[in-house]
Amino acid sequence: MASTSARRSRGWLRTELTGLLFSSPAIIGLAAVMAYPVAASLYYSFCNYSVLKPPTWVGTANYERLLTDELFWTSLWNTLYFAAFSVPLGIIVAFLLALLLNVKVRGMTVYRTIFYIPSIVPMVASSVLWIWLFNPQYGAVNALLRHVPGISDPPGWLSDPAWAKPTIILWSIWGVGNTVVIFLAGLQGVPQALYEAAEVDGASPWQRTLSITVPYMTPYLFFALVMGLIGSFQFFTPAMVMTNGTGGPADSTMFYALNLFHRAFSDFKMGYACAMAWVLFILVVIATLVVVKSSARYVYYESADEGAV
Amino acid sequence: MVLDLWHVWGGEQAAAIDEVVARFEACHPNIRINPVFTSNDLATSQKFFTAVASGAPPDVIFVDGPQVAPWAEWGALVPLDPYLEAAGIKPQDYFDPCWQQCSYEGKTWALTYCADPNFGFVWSRQAFREAGLDPDRPPTTIEELDEMAEALTRRGPGGELESIGLIPWAQYGPANSMFTWGWAFGGEFYDPETRTVTADHPDVVRALAWMISYCDRFDVRRISALEAGFGTQEQDPFYTGLMAMRCLHIGGIVDIGKYAPDLDWAVSFLPAPEEGGKPRSSWVGGWCMSIPEGCPHPDEAFELIRWTCHDPAGTTAAGEASGLFPGMATSPYFDQVRDEPHYGAFLDIIEETRHQRPVMPSQAFLMRELARAVDAARFGKIAPPKTVAIVAPGSPDWAVEVEQELSGMGSTLVADPAEADITVVDATSDGVAIPHGEHVLAVTTKAETPEGAHGYALAPLTADHLRRWYIARVALHRATVNTQNELDLILKGGG
Repeated sequence: MASTSARRSRGWLRTELTGLLFSSPAIIGLAAVMAYPVAASLYYSFCNYSVLKPPTWVGTANYERLLTDELFWTSLWNTLYFAAFSVPLGIIVAFLLALLLNVKVRGMTVYRTIFYIPSIVPMVASSVLWIWLFNPQYGAVNALLRHVPGISDPPGWLSDPAWAKPTIILWSIWGVGNTVVIFLAGLQGVPQALYEAAEVDGASPWQRTLSITVPYMTPYLFFALVMGLIGSFQFFTPAMVMTNGTGGPADSTMFYALNLFHRAFSDFKMGYACAMAWVLFILVVIATLVVVKSSARYVYYESADEGAV
Repeated sequence: MVLDLWHVWGGEQAAAIDEVVARFEACHPNIRINPVFTSNDLATSQKFFTAVASGAPPDVIFVDGPQVAPWAEWGALVPLDPYLEAAGIKPQDYFDPCWQQCSYEGKTWALTYCADPNFGFVWSRQAFREAGLDPDRPPTTIEELDEMAEALTRRGPGGELESIGLIPWAQYGPANSMFTWGWAFGGEFYDPETRTVTADHPDVVRALAWMISYCDRFDVRRISALEAGFGTQEQDPFYTGLMAMRCLHIGGIVDIGKYAPDLDWAVSFLPAPEEGGKPRSSWVGGWCMSIPEGCPHPDEAFELIRWTCHDPAGTTAAGEASGLFPGMATSPYFDQVRDEPHYGAFLDIIEETRHQRPVMPSQAFLMRELARAVDAARFGKIAPPKTVAIVAPGSPDWAVEVEQELSGMGSTLVADPAEADITVVDATSDGVAIPHGEHVLAVTTKAETPEGAHGYALAPLTADHLRRWYIARVALHRATVNTQNELDLILKGGG
């Protein structure tokens, strides 16, 4: 018995070791390029660190200082504002587009391609394009708006502190193609029989959408919500490009990640920037937890097969 | 032996640096240079720091003047003093601000490759003629400048701006604009002796108050709309006639020749306020060359720097190839350009230059704070004063006038200066020492008593004038406090 068990455990060890050996490139890679930097950034967040000189321990000074850093709060507010508008708006627009692109008409693949194209344009390129579309004086958007009765003086968009954030939110809607694709896939899973039954019962298209499509789509909407939240907390590239990195006018587009970038790479306050990054991480975790915990109330998980029974 | 030279020049300036390198190699047969373009801005200078941190830096690095102090503080540069001494290079060989911007903590960390006289004040002679102004008479005072700016501005049927005489905050960004006008108004931004940030100097405040007066006169949103259409190169607003007057750096001479050869323009000194201003004011920017920490061949690296930045032949080569001024004041190159159109005027400017941007480790932070202050002030992000106190025993005429103006501004009058957002005091009263002659003083913060105050606004004491002055003061005070905190932390070695 004993020798059998020893053989078994040797065999088990062998299997484990072989498994570890084969997965070692991934494990070592993840440890070196993910785990170590993450752990190091936590350590540096308690240090004064300017890269070339060795870090010096300062305790929680960086975190304490964040509380009184007025620009930290401004950038946090801008980011929350952006997330609060851009995420729901993005989901609604993507959902409506997905519904439209799910209609069976001729040439649908062409339409689907058209709506997906913006998502494959690099962010920097689309940001530059946006600058010119929304140019107050020569841009296409204002050229159109001037033809709308009642609008004689269209907004200054990115050059006006009151409009700069809404302009960037509009930009974010432009790139909903990825979400649309996910929603389209989800729409294929909604059991057709339910629609037919509802139609027989005399439900209007609106009722069918609300009572059948939306409940079946909640896992996909939920996914888009979580990913959208995480993405918008880390929102950076277009703000950097559209404002030349200034976060202007008048701090109106100074988003959290842009502020962090300046602290890290203009000022070389890596410790402070790491502290900012960890605060952001904790905020993202909290936001995600809130969404996930509350999801049981509104997310409906049932496979299409079961639903069809 | 091959030296790695990391430079910042693209396009035609890249060809210039190649030319300089070729001439250096011709007289240094044992040294080959490998020039590498490594753009240097806030997003890309990381490459250099990564290289230094990993122990594989280039031999010579180009560093922007205001970056010298922070890079030295961070430990990225090697002091050049022993080499300078051995080569007999002295501060007086250079335009003073060029030397100053490379000196930090008693050591010299770089030599100036090109000295940018910031700025030449340029005007479009054609626009002047069209507006009925004398094309040979630029404004010399701020008062004249304001009048001409109005005359040179054209508005469309809907009130939109078709072109504008001047945009005070658009001189190479709001921070550089603030420096430019701040010094012209007689202000100072930093005291290196006491390491004190003085960006809320009363004359800097006065300059910002003047800058944002253009927001009221031309409507800030209409100016922003016009600005959003400004491009670079061929689309530069000065070349395309969208802006009739501006500040121009010396590289602009070559650019105009290339992109707008038919432009009829001239250059002179910056105007300054008639009262209390500093006429012919300017400051120096420009790129410097330095040796990185861990440089493999420091002796040869210094020889490249010495030849390019100090040698008569090298500075002449650099000047000829780049069209930029060397930092070395006695370079024979200047004899070549003294009589050339526009260059001569820029040479006059740089010979009188007294300023460089503050040499301190939180320089980038200061620039951002100044930009924020200018933005906040011009977009009305700062509320006008709510409570006002007037300290004037015996109710003189001016106090009555000011009271009327302030009530028109929606401010409440209070008796106690300690409770007032803004306190107005006769500058000639006892214990209040104010420069520039007879003024009325305005104090903003509640903590400041009239006696201890260092802020003042010049007449006329209209509601608009006082409001702008107050807004400028609050914006710059915030920038000053923030930058001072940042600087103190760095100097203390804190997070």
